[in-house]
Amino acid sequence: MVHTLFVARLTLNALGRDRVLHTLLGVSLVLLCLVPAFSLFSMRQVQELAVTLVLSCHALLLIFLAIFLGSSTLWRDLERRHTSLILGLPLSRSHYLLGRFFGVGLFLLLFSLCYALLAVIAVSVSATFYEADRPVIWMNLLAALGGDLLKAWLLAAVAFLFSTFSTSLFLPLFGTLAIYSAGSASQEVYEYLNSDFSSQISAGVRWLAEIFYWILPNLTLFDLKTQAVYSLPLDIPALIYPFIYGFVYTSLVLWGAEFFLSRRDLV
Amino acid sequence: MNAIEATGLKKVFRGKKMQRVEALKEVTFSLSKGEVFGFLGPNGAGKSTTIKVLTGQIRASSGEAFLWGQPVSHPSSRQNLGYLPENPSFPDTLTASDYLRFVGKVFSLPQGELQGKITSVLSRLELDTTMKRPIRGFSKGMVQRLGLAQALLADPDLLILDEPMSGLDPLGRALVKDLISELRQKGKTIFFSTHITADVEQVCDRVGIIVGGRLQCVEPVEELLQEGLSGYRIYYRKDGTMCELPAAREDFPREMETLLSQGIEVDRVEPQRRDLETFFLETVERARYEN
Repeated sequence: MVHTLFVARLTLNALGRDRVLHTLLGVSLVLLCLVPAFSLFSMRQVQELAVTLVLSCHALLLIFLAIFLGSSTLWRDLERRHTSLILGLPLSRSHYLLGRFFGVGLFLLLFSLCYALLAVIAVSVSATFYEADRPVIWMNLLAALGGDLLKAWLLAAVAFLFSTFSTSLFLPLFGTLAIYSAGSASQEVYEYLNSDFSSQISAGVRWLAEIFYWILPNLTLFDLKTQAVYSLPLDIPALIYPFIYGFVYTSLVLWGAEFFLSRRDLV
Repeated sequence: MNAIEATGLKKVFRGKKMQRVEALKEVTFSLSKGEVFGFLGPNGAGKSTTIKVLTGQIRASSGEAFLWGQPVSHPSSRQNLGYLPENPSFPDTLTASDYLRFVGKVFSLPQGELQGKITSVLSRLELDTTMKRPIRGFSKGMVQRLGLAQALLADPDLLILDEPMSGLDPLGRALVKDLISELRQKGKTIFFSTHITADVEQVCDRVGIIVGGRLQCVEPVEELLQEGLSGYRIYYRKDGTMCELPAAREDFPREMETLLSQGIEVDRVEPQRRDLETFFLETVERARYEN
């Protein structure tokens, strides 16, 4: 386990010096600075718009980071043969894989924490412009940010899985994007197929859709934006279920990634 | 216990359209403690594949290999190994010091000694001034030397070096040769691949030649050089002029006696031998003919 932490630290160290990521962090800072100004456009829902903007930017940036880092970290190691050096050390492939994943996950967590801090400031400033009917529930805002983070970890794990058996960047990148799109829509499709509006759809298609529903990650579970934007009460099961689902799904995906990586010839 | 033990190693790759490529064919050899072994072969002969099997990067289709008695599939077999891959590549945003610190931790080197060891190994490879610079700014030769530094950091008893002189200028090559000789004197076991026969002649105890995935021979370098001695060339002065006399191996004592009895001053004697390169070329040629 200690080897996993060493690899995670090395990964975090390398990501911390990546110029592309510095630029992205700069972009997120600019976006957050613009939130109070843009939220004024809503007239009477300044606070709600500010929360919406903050959460949307966070989700967008985090998904971009998760897919970009998840796809490129392992793939780059294999492509540039960093693995020849790292796995030539007394280090198992599973420790290496987990270390790389935890490094990326930790980077996403640190990004989210910094973002959350600045988001609280941006929303607080916006809320002073126009008094909302319901005050911001900060725990809801943090829960929504946490939901995005769980989603990003899961997507990063999916990208890692694709990287373990793909020789090009195409599959990890676009495969994860496809999983993200399908996972975001699967709940709605499932509900539609179980409603009266879909009575004409054949049983075969319905059966196939159901299988996909259970196999694909259900990313809607992590979406807690409505509760955060409108300061609606958030019960504990609503928080625990996505956390357990995310943890179990991510673990299974990583187990699959470890399975493929341990069998791959590093030529 | 042997440092390396490989028995019947076979590796088959599946190419495009499922065609079989037999990269290794029943490769068997062993390396005892303190030996320096040169692994020679033309490009694509299977040198790197053998090394990758030994370091657990790829799995042999059949056969088995052990490092210090431990199966190569287990990471602990690499606990006493320093490995330099061919054309090493590092995460380039890191500094040399960052990477070596990571290597030291994986080898469980004591925290208190780590910095000293890093400084010492970088200094030995003339990289001490670049310790804090990102690796992305390193030249090819510097990257190669950093690869050697990470292999040497934990002071392992076994070193597997895949083309250690590749990408180095003459100064770098001399540095690495010195280093190998120094490690040999310390009793380290070294297995290194190359296609430069002169390097093997200078630093190795034994040489193995692989062609087309099959290990053709494993011979002591000294014996090869002795066997290859065909005769001598005697240079002497007569009436102020330098003369040259070729002598077969068996005629040499008689020729020398004759010259000395005539009171002729012998300037120098040069052995005429079939060098390792000739032996290597003959072996490759023979293997190709047999195949």
